Amino acid sequence: MKIPVFGWIAIGGLAFAAVPFLQLPAFYESFLYLMCFWIVLATSWNILSGYSGYFSFGHGAFFGAGMYTTATLATKFDWPFLWTLPACALVAALLGVAIGTVVFRMDRLRGELFALLTLAVTFVLATVVLNTKIDGGQGVLLSGVAVPSLLARPSSTFYLLALAMAVGTLAIAYAIYRAKLGLGLFAIHDDEDVAEVLGVPTFRYKIIAFAISCALAGMAGGLHALFISYVTVGETFSIIVPLNVVLMSVLGGSRHWLGPAVGASVITGLLYAFTAGNYPVAGRAAVGLILIVVILFMPEGLLGRLIGKKRPKTAKPAADAKPVAADPAPLRPGPSVASDGPLLSVSGLAKAFKGVRAVDGVDLEVRPGEILGLVGPNGSGKSTLINLVSGHYRRDAGRIVFAGRDLAGLEANEIARTGIARTYQIPRPFAHMSVETNVALTARFGREALDAQAARAEAGRWLEFTGLTDKAQALPEDLNLHQRKFLELARALAARPSLLLLDEVLSGLTPSEIDHAIRTIRQIRDQGATIVFVEHVMRAVMELTDRIVVLNHGKVIAEGLPAEVMNRPEVVTAYLGKPQHA
Amino acid sequence: MKLVTRLAGAALGLLVGLGLAQPANAQSTQPIRIGSTLALTGPLSATALIHKLVGEIYVEQLNAKGGLLGRKVEWIVKDDQSKPDVARTIYEQLITVDKVDLLLGPYATGNIVAAMGVAQRYNKILVHHTLGIPNLAKYDMQFPAWSVGANPETTVPNTVFDALAATGKPMKTIAVVTSKFPSVFYMSEGARAVAKQRGFQEVLFLEWEFGNRDYGPIASRVKDAKPDFVWVGAIGLEGNMLAEAMKKIDYTPPMQFHMYPAPGPMAKSPDTQNALAASIFEQHAPFTSNAVAAEFVKIYNDRAAKANLPDTAVETQAAASYSAWQVLTAAVNATKGLDDKAMSDWLKKNQVDTIQGKLRFDRQNNFGDDLMKVKQVQNGQWVTVWPKDWAAPGAKLIVP
Amino acid sequence: MMPSPTLLGQAVLSGIFIGALYGLLGLGLSLSWGMLRQINLAHFALAFLGAYLTYQLTSVGGLDPLLTLFIVAPAFFLFGVGMHALLARFAITPFNSLLVTFGLTVIIESLIQGIWTADYRRMETHYGTMKYKLGAFYIPFTEFLTLVMAALLSIGTWAILRHTDLGKAMRAAAEDGPIAAAFGVNERRLALMLSGFSAGCAGVAGVCLALSYTLAPAQIYAWIGVVFAAVMIGGLGNPLGPLIAGAVIGISEALTMAVIAPAWAPLVSFSLLILVLLVRGKRT
Repeated sequence: MKIPVFGWIAIGGLAFAAVPFLQLPAFYESFLYLMCFWIVLATSWNILSGYSGYFSFGHGAFFGAGMYTTATLATKFDWPFLWTLPACALVAALLGVAIGTVVFRMDRLRGELFALLTLAVTFVLATVVLNTKIDGGQGVLLSGVAVPSLLARPSSTFYLLALAMAVGTLAIAYAIYRAKLGLGLFAIHDDEDVAEVLGVPTFRYKIIAFAISCALAGMAGGLHALFISYVTVGETFSIIVPLNVVLMSVLGGSRHWLGPAVGASVITGLLYAFTAGNYPVAGRAAVGLILIVVILFMPEGLLGRLIGKKRPKTAKPAADAKPVAADPAPLRPGPSVASDGPLLSVSGLAKAFKGVRAVDGVDLEVRPGEILGLVGPNGSGKSTLINLVSGHYRRDAGRIVFAGRDLAGLEANEIARTGIARTYQIPRPFAHMSVETNVALTARFGREALDAQAARAEAGRWLEFTGLTDKAQALPEDLNLHQRKFLELARALAARPSLLLLDEVLSGLTPSEIDHAIRTIRQIRDQGATIVFVEHVMRAVMELTDRIVVLNHGKVIAEGLPAEVMNRPEVVTAYLGKPQHA
Repeated sequence: MKLVTRLAGAALGLLVGLGLAQPANAQSTQPIRIGSTLALTGPLSATALIHKLVGEIYVEQLNAKGGLLGRKVEWIVKDDQSKPDVARTIYEQLITVDKVDLLLGPYATGNIVAAMGVAQRYNKILVHHTLGIPNLAKYDMQFPAWSVGANPETTVPNTVFDALAATGKPMKTIAVVTSKFPSVFYMSEGARAVAKQRGFQEVLFLEWEFGNRDYGPIASRVKDAKPDFVWVGAIGLEGNMLAEAMKKIDYTPPMQFHMYPAPGPMAKSPDTQNALAASIFEQHAPFTSNAVAAEFVKIYNDRAAKANLPDTAVETQAAASYSAWQVLTAAVNATKGLDDKAMSDWLKKNQVDTIQGKLRFDRQNNFGDDLMKVKQVQNGQWVTVWPKDWAAPGAKLIVP
Repeated sequence: MMPSPTLLGQAVLSGIFIGALYGLLGLGLSLSWGMLRQINLAHFALAFLGAYLTYQLTSVGGLDPLLTLFIVAPAFFLFGVGMHALLARFAITPFNSLLVTFGLTVIIESLIQGIWTADYRRMETHYGTMKYKLGAFYIPFTEFLTLVMAALLSIGTWAILRHTDLGKAMRAAAEDGPIAAAFGVNERRLALMLSGFSAGCAGVAGVCLALSYTLAPAQIYAWIGVVFAAVMIGGLGNPLGPLIAGAVIGISEALTMAVIAPAWAPLVSFSLLILVLLVRGKRT
C-alpha cells in the first residue's frame, strides 16, 4: 500500500512525539527543539522565497515581531503563553500583508531589491521596537511567564510545541507545493509576467504565500521568546536569522518542500558538533568549508540532487518535429457572443513610453471566427497592442471590449480568464517545469480552471496536437526553437481561449517548419478559435488571414482584405520607406 | 516516499548515537566535573579567552593543591556561540547528559539568564560573573561573583560622583550619552536619576543603537553642550570610538567616565588619557597585597601573553571570573560535599574571601555589597583612584 | 533649541566621511555583483583581514600604515584572481555565490580569531591624531584619507570603464558575454582582473578601517547591512553609485543624530532607502 506524503508527515510527527516518553536526558529534547525551531523558520521562509523566488532578507522582522508580541502580551498584559501564539502569527502576517500590498504591486521590486527592502524593514522595525515602550532598551525578561504544563518537563513541552509547529509547517509547505497555489508560485519564480498573463493571480498568490510564511515565522518567534526567556533587540533583529534560513533552505534545496527542513537539520547538527571540542574556532571554519563544498558540488542543494536524479533523461531534441496529429482534439470555442457583434473591439487605444507614442489612438475590431493579420514594420506598435489587450501594460487611454465586456480595470490574470490567450515571439516557457506542466498550468489557470487531473489530460491533448507528446517530461531547455514555439502554442491553447493572440510564431523557423505551422494554425481556427496573427512572414499572412490591419508609428494606416491592402501605396511606403513609384 | 523514511532514519540514528555518548555515573574516586559555557565564537567572543585562561589557571592551581574534597577537578567548557538558545541547550547537556557535578556560569547577560533558567529547573547552584542587571536574577540559588550590589544603577554612579566630589573641583553640568545595549542602558538610566538627585544639571542626554558606527555627530553635540562631566554608557569599543570622535574635533571633555570600555585600547589611546571607568580589580597594590591575587596576576600575565592577547593585565573580567571559581570552591569546601542546597544555604549565611575582597550574598537577589571602584587612565595605565583605601600607592584622581 | 551651524556642518562632514567608507567598502562589492554576477559577502571579511594585516605590519613590523597599502592591495588582487578562478570553474549562480562567500567569510573570521584572538585591537599611529582645520570645522586626517581613497578609486574606475578600451570591453562582457566574446573580448581574463581589482579595493578599505577603527572579528558583520544598502541604492555595477549613496546615507544618519536623536538614525536612513526603492519601483 502506498502511503501518501501527508501520512508520512503524520507518522514522522507521531514518532518524534514519542521522544519525551523515552525519558531521554532533557538535552536531546532541547536539541530537537532547536532543530524543529529552525525547520519552522527555514520552511516558512521557503514558502514565499523558495517557491516564488522572492528572496526575503526580512525573516528576522517577522520572527522578531512574534517574539515581541509574546514578550509584550505575556509580561505586560498577563496573557497565558499559549494564547499569545496565535496573536504572534496574526501580527507577523499582518506586517507581511502590509508590506506585500505595497511592494508586490511594483514590477521592479523583484530579486535583490526585494531582499534589500525586506532587510531595511527589519532594521526599521528594530529601531522602532528599541525606542518605544515595546522594549525601551533594557530587553524583556520572561522568566516569570509560566511555561504551559503539557508535559512534566518544560523541555518536553517546548519540544512538543516546536514539533507540532514543524509538522504543521511541513504539512502546509507540502500542501502548497502540491496545490494550485504552489504551481502558481513556481510559475512566478520562473517568469512572473508570463504567469500573470496566463491567468495566475500573481499579486494575490504572493500575498497569501507571504502571509503564511510570516505567520509561521511569527509563531516560531513567540515560542522562542519563552525558550530563551530574555528578549533583546540586538539578538532578535540581527542578520543571523535571515542568513541562517537562506543558508538552510539553499543547502537543503529551495525548490523542494522538504529541502529547508533537511538543510535546517544538517546545519543545526553541524553547529552542535563543534560546541564541545577544544577548537571551536577551527570547528566554525570547518562549517564554512563544508558549506562551500556542498554548494559548489550540489548547486541545487542536497534534495535538488535527489530530484535531479528522478527526472527521466530525455533524448537530445530531434532535428525535425513530428507532424501534426491527424485527429486533433476539438477546441471548444469561447463564450457565446452575439454572432453579429465583434469578439474584440478596441477604440482610441493609446500607450506611450517615456514620451514615445507606441500605440497612438488605435481602433480595430476582431470578428468571431476570423484570422486577423496584424502587420507593420518593426516598432509599429504590434507587440505593444498585444501587451495592452492581454493586460500586461496599462493603457493610457482608450477602451477594450472583449465579448461584450469592458476590460477596464481588470488585472492581466483576470483578462486571461475571460478567454484571451497569447504566445510570445521569443518563447518564454517556465524553465524549471516540464513541458507537460507548462501546458497543464494554463489549463488550470485558464477560463475553465480545470482541476489537476483534467488539466493534465488537457495538456496531453494539446501536446499531441502540437507533436510534443514525447517531450512531455522534458524541460524546455531540451527543446529546439521550433518545438519551443509549438510549446508556446500548446500552452496558449490549453487555456481554451476564444481569442488567441499569436505574436510572430513563425519568426526564426525554416520554410518547412513554417508550412507545418501554417497547417497547425489553420486547424486551430477550424476548431472555433478566433486569431489575431502578428507576423512578418508575408507568405503566411497572405495564406492564413481573412483580413489584415496595418500599423505604422502606432496608428492604423490600412485595413481590409490581404491582397488588396498590401498593394496600397501608403502600406508599401511604410514597409519600404519610399513611395512605390519613385 | 523513500526519502522521508531515510531522513527519519538518519535523524533517529543521530539521536541514538548521541544517547550512547552518555557517560557512566561518576563515582567518588573520579574527578569532580564542573561544567560551563563561554562565548568562544560569535559576537561576544572578545572576552571569552580571558575567562577560559582564568578557568584553566584556577583548575590547575586547585589540582596542584589536591583538588576539591580530595578529588581532582575537571573543567568541561563548551562554546555557546554567543547565543542564549545554544547556552540554554548546552547547560541542559551539561546537567542531563554530561552529568557534571557543578555548574559555573557563562558571561554576558543574555546567556547568564538562559543558563539560570536551566539551573533553576534542575535545582543546581549557579555561580556566575558579569551579570550587569541584578533584576534579571530571579533564582534563589544563583550567586553573582561580580560584586556590583543589588542596585548598581544607583550605587555605581554614586561612587563615581563621590570620587569627583572628593577632588574639590566644582562640577555642575553633566552630559549622559549611552548605548542602548541593555546592561549599559540600565546603568545610564540610573546615573541620570542619581545625577539629578545630587544637583547636577543635565545639559545633554543622548542614546544610540548598539552597533552604531558614526560617533562624529554625538561628539559634536557633547562639545556643543559644554558639560563639566560626561557619563559615557558604552560597551566594548563604543566608548573608545566616541572618545576618538571627540578628539577628532579637538575636544576633550573636562572629565569623562566610561561604563564598560575595552580596557586595553582605552589605556593606550592618547585620546582617553585621564578617562574614568568602573572596576573591581586592577593589578596593583592594595589588590595585589593579597598573596592569592598576586600569584594569579603573575600566572595570568604570562598566559595571556602566550595566548597572544593584546592586553595581558588582570582587570574586572579576569578578576570576576577568578572570584566565581573562589566562591564555588569555598562553598564546596565549607559544606564538604556537592549538595547544591547545602552550598546555597551556606553562601547565603557566610562571606567568601576573593581577590576582589569579601563577598556576601544576603541581599536582594543574593547580591551583596557594591565593591565597584573608580579607575583612571594615567600615563597609559589603568590605576584605581577611588575609594582612597583601594587607590594605587600614591595615585590620586587627576583633574586636568 | 536649534543646533548650531558648526554642529550641523561638522555632522555633515562626519556623514560624508562615514559615507566614504561605505562607498569604499561597497565599490568592490558593487563591481563584482553588477559585472560578474557574484554577491561577494566575503568582501567584508577580506576588508577586515586587510585591516588586521595592516595592524600587524604596523604594530609589529614597524611599517608606516600608508606603506602597507602597497603590500596589502597587490596581495589581495592576487587573492581575488584566485578566488574567481575557483568560482568560475563552477559556473555558480548569483545566489549560490552569496552562500559560498558566506562560507569563506566564516573561514576568514575564524582565521582572524585564531591568529589575533577575538579581543579588541587598535592600531596606534601618529596619523590617528592628525587633523586639519577648515574655518570652524575639523577634518581628521585618517577619515579624509578614506574619502580621498574612495573618491580616487570610484572616479578612476568610472573613468576607466567609460573611456578606455579595456573598460568598454569589460562593460560589453558584463552586458552580453557571448557577443563580446565574438568581438574578440577575452571575457575570462577581464573577469579575473575585475575580481582581483574588487579584492584589492577590499584591501584598501582594510587599511582605512585599521586607521580609524578598533578591530574585532565580529565587526565583519556590523557593516553588511548598510553597505549592501549603499550598493543597491547606487545601482549595481555603477562605480560612483556606492560612494554617492553611501554619502547620502551617512549624511542623513549624521543629521538625524545631530538634530533629533542618535537612536533613531537607522530608522531615517533605512526609511529613506525604502522610499527610494518604492519611488523607483513605481509600476510602469
